Amino acid sequence: MKGGYTGKILRVNLTNKSIGTIPTERYEEYGGGHGIGSAIFFDLVGDQLPFEAFDPRNLIIMMTSPFSGTFMPGSGRCEVQGLGPMLYPIEWFGHSSFGGRFTAQMKFAGWDGIVVEGASDDPVWINIVDDKVTIESANGIWGMDTWDTQEEIARRVVPSLKDGEWVEVGDGYSTQVPAVVCCGVAGENKSRLGALLHGPGSQAALCGFGGVFGSKKLKAISAIGTGSVPIADPKAFMETRLWFNRFQWDVDNPREGDRFITGMYRVSAGSPSGGNVTNGQIPLVPARAAACASCPRGCRMRLASSDSNESVCAGTMVFNVPGSPKFTRKSNDLMQKYGLGHWQMMPILSYIRNLNQRGLLGKGKKIECDLPFEQANTAGFNELLMGKIAMREGIGDDLAEAAARFSQKYGLYDEDISSGNLRLTYWGTAEHYESKIEVEWSYGSILGERDLMLHMMANYPLHWMAWSGDPFLTAEEAAKLYTDAMVPYEGDPFMVDYSEGPTGIYSDSKVKQVAWVKHYEKFWVGCGGFCGWRWPMCITCTTADRRGPTPEAEPRFWNAVTGKNLTFEDSMELGHKIYTLDRSIWALQGRHRNMEVFPDYVYDEPTMMGNEMPMYIDGKWKYDAGRGRKIDRDRFEDWKTRFYKFEGYNPENGWPTRNTLEGMGLNKVADTLKSKGKLG
Amino acid sequence: MPKSKKPENKEIADKKKYSRRDFLAIGGAVVAAAATPAGVATAASPGPEEVSYPASKGYLVYDSKKCTGCTTCMLSCSLVHYGVQNLSLSRIQIIQDSFGKFPDDIQIAPCRQCVTPPCVINCPVGAAYVDTENGNVRRIDEKKCIGCQTCLEMCPQQPHRIVWNHFTGKATKCDLCIDTPYWDEKGGVNGKQACVEACPMQAIKFVTTTPDQKETEGYDVNLRNEHWLNLGLVDDSTVVPPIMKNMRKFGAPPKPKAEE
Repeated sequence: MKGGYTGKILRVNLTNKSIGTIPTERYEEYGGGHGIGSAIFFDLVGDQLPFEAFDPRNLIIMMTSPFSGTFMPGSGRCEVQGLGPMLYPIEWFGHSSFGGRFTAQMKFAGWDGIVVEGASDDPVWINIVDDKVTIESANGIWGMDTWDTQEEIARRVVPSLKDGEWVEVGDGYSTQVPAVVCCGVAGENKSRLGALLHGPGSQAALCGFGGVFGSKKLKAISAIGTGSVPIADPKAFMETRLWFNRFQWDVDNPREGDRFITGMYRVSAGSPSGGNVTNGQIPLVPARAAACASCPRGCRMRLASSDSNESVCAGTMVFNVPGSPKFTRKSNDLMQKYGLGHWQMMPILSYIRNLNQRGLLGKGKKIECDLPFEQANTAGFNELLMGKIAMREGIGDDLAEAAARFSQKYGLYDEDISSGNLRLTYWGTAEHYESKIEVEWSYGSILGERDLMLHMMANYPLHWMAWSGDPFLTAEEAAKLYTDAMVPYEGDPFMVDYSEGPTGIYSDSKVKQVAWVKHYEKFWVGCGGFCGWRWPMCITCTTADRRGPTPEAEPRFWNAVTGKNLTFEDSMELGHKIYTLDRSIWALQGRHRNMEVFPDYVYDEPTMMGNEMPMYIDGKWKYDAGRGRKIDRDRFEDWKTRFYKFEGYNPENGWPTRNTLEGMGLNKVADTLKSKGKLG
Repeated sequence: MPKSKKPENKEIADKKKYSRRDFLAIGGAVVAAAATPAGVATAASPGPEEVSYPASKGYLVYDSKKCTGCTTCMLSCSLVHYGVQNLSLSRIQIIQDSFGKFPDDIQIAPCRQCVTPPCVINCPVGAAYVDTENGNVRRIDEKKCIGCQTCLEMCPQQPHRIVWNHFTGKATKCDLCIDTPYWDEKGGVNGKQACVEACPMQAIKFVTTTPDQKETEGYDVNLRNEHWLNLGLVDDSTVVPPIMKNMRKFGAPPKPKAEE
């Protein structure tokens, strides 16, 4: 292993309090991050599936990538994997990720990742200081909110820590504070919407891994290191990093700056600080743009008031207190402190309001609830609601089961999911963009295990560009340029045709696009620790010719760091392999193609708003919202059949075939599937 | 690489000319020296010897309000000097508190290339020196360094700008990229510096004018222009970014002319 890896993965068993290592080399073929995590999960517990997410056999796997701890742009995220208690109807083997600097500190400490097994009887946290790892008592920490937890653990790890001083840490010295990831009170109480928090606002929001931490009596993991991440070709790495500058937002002289920092471009075009939507009204709170480790964008903010620090997007907008940015920030910060997953908190909030308006939930109603809905949209109401959920008090005990199971308990799920009153479109997670139009997202989600959450696939570059009313490319130009970058399927502009025509959302071109999305997701986003707000970059407003760094940058950086000779085509094959491994695990959990369908409303209810995308209509490219569209059941099922065949899965059930698995070297996986009657 | 902590050697300690406390006590004299003309500074009665050094022909200044804390500068520094990514080896340090209040949540700490350099003055073996062949940059010759850490202790800045290489047991410091085995670009006062080139916010700048030595403000300067302000990033809540003067709300397009 020439560069990028530290060579060892930490393995901690909380049941017997043992600490061991797994050689990274054993899993190097999977690249890093998600790929290695999936392979470890399969090896350790694959043959025991199915079991429940709160079973001590469930694993928490937190992997870094070869890029973690390096200045590879936009690669600082930590991939978290395990069975996800938020997901529905089965707690699928899922993934979530969070930004910040945790993966960097793990690498500096000498670890490529951590695998947590078993469950402790007493609350504990894991302390990583270089190669010294201990399991510590969480006495005095259990019960704390996520912010106090991090502060307290930093104080315990480095008692002499003072801002602005070098302190002796492990094998050397550092000026950095330990990077801590923890669950909040919600996670401690095994909430299915329990998130993991790192820093004040970096959430692993999906899957409910905060609840899994709680089930293991694991409060936190802290990492700080003074070691090095080796780089195979330092000169090439530096040269490539400086080459990449041309694709960044030039803060001193932005190309068409006034155009690309206003309106819809404020968030989507890549300028600093746009992710926090709570500080855009005069008077502005003085603030800086704040970045995750090595990110050249810095989409977050830190404010002079220190509220909403490092929160972005849903982390700043689940709760809205009309007329008060201050109390909006306070409410959303409370969500972060309790460790409530924002992407589940949002549908819960809208659903209980919906039930209240329908006369089904409230004082003396079918669902007894003493929340004062007459005070909805106030900071006080928000505080009451979140406190009940986090502490599992009253109605909060049911809501802590997350929206799908809450609805099911009261016999409303089937009706409300069909009608769209409950828009949990993807395995218990919320619809994000219009599922009938932006189908790389909806298809990619239903063929996965949760909301796709990858804005840079087509959402920012194509949808938001069109939505701005001032697109920097025509639909035809965008289709050509975008798909030029989609190696190995480049040259087919209809991959981004979102019409219902013969080359549109039911076409073979769309099969290729969704395959590309899943393969890029699994390898570059999952294994490379990439941010879905930064990668891929197929087109960009920051260059004269509007071409982005994809697909040149990814392998160029990868090879400089690792010393390998990976091509983009190779990377997509690896992404296919990892996706296939994930699908094999889902098959062992009970997945079948018949389950990979949308709620009825997606097929039955025409979209009113639509979703502007490039469409090829009547022989011409144009941006169109597709208003009035429904997904056609039969055409989608036919499309799925072609997708399964394209990927090497049995179209009867969606399970990987032996030929496909063995062609990828996954013979052992094929044998396990065969023994469980799940081989395609 | 072997790992090494500070050696405990009485002989080394005895070689120290005077303590950090002694140096701080004469701080006023150093400030006065910094203001001397012709770029030549004299430490007024600092100790047993009177010393003077030609001023460096280059300095790093920075804008701590523009910094996003991405640490790209730190990693570029360790990369070009050592071929690895390591925050502890970086000769520029970014210290930050994610929970803190802007602007005090970030401190940027590069070497100041002091006009009167305590590290050079106090090195007992002459390993810290003024490189007169390369723009008078204050440097450390690691081959001569005996690892006594006097320079760390004498640096009056917090954190100290001398960086301890715990792998080699030697002190190191910013050389303005004169010696970068892993970067072919010409560095030093007539070349480029890795941190300056890599910073995505352009928050670090190389200058040839000696900054005010008295306070941090001489180095922590404003490198933001109207484009930064237009991102909605103000350091004073009474400031309205130019682009917002025509807006109802930031994030919304300017008012159509017909509405105005």
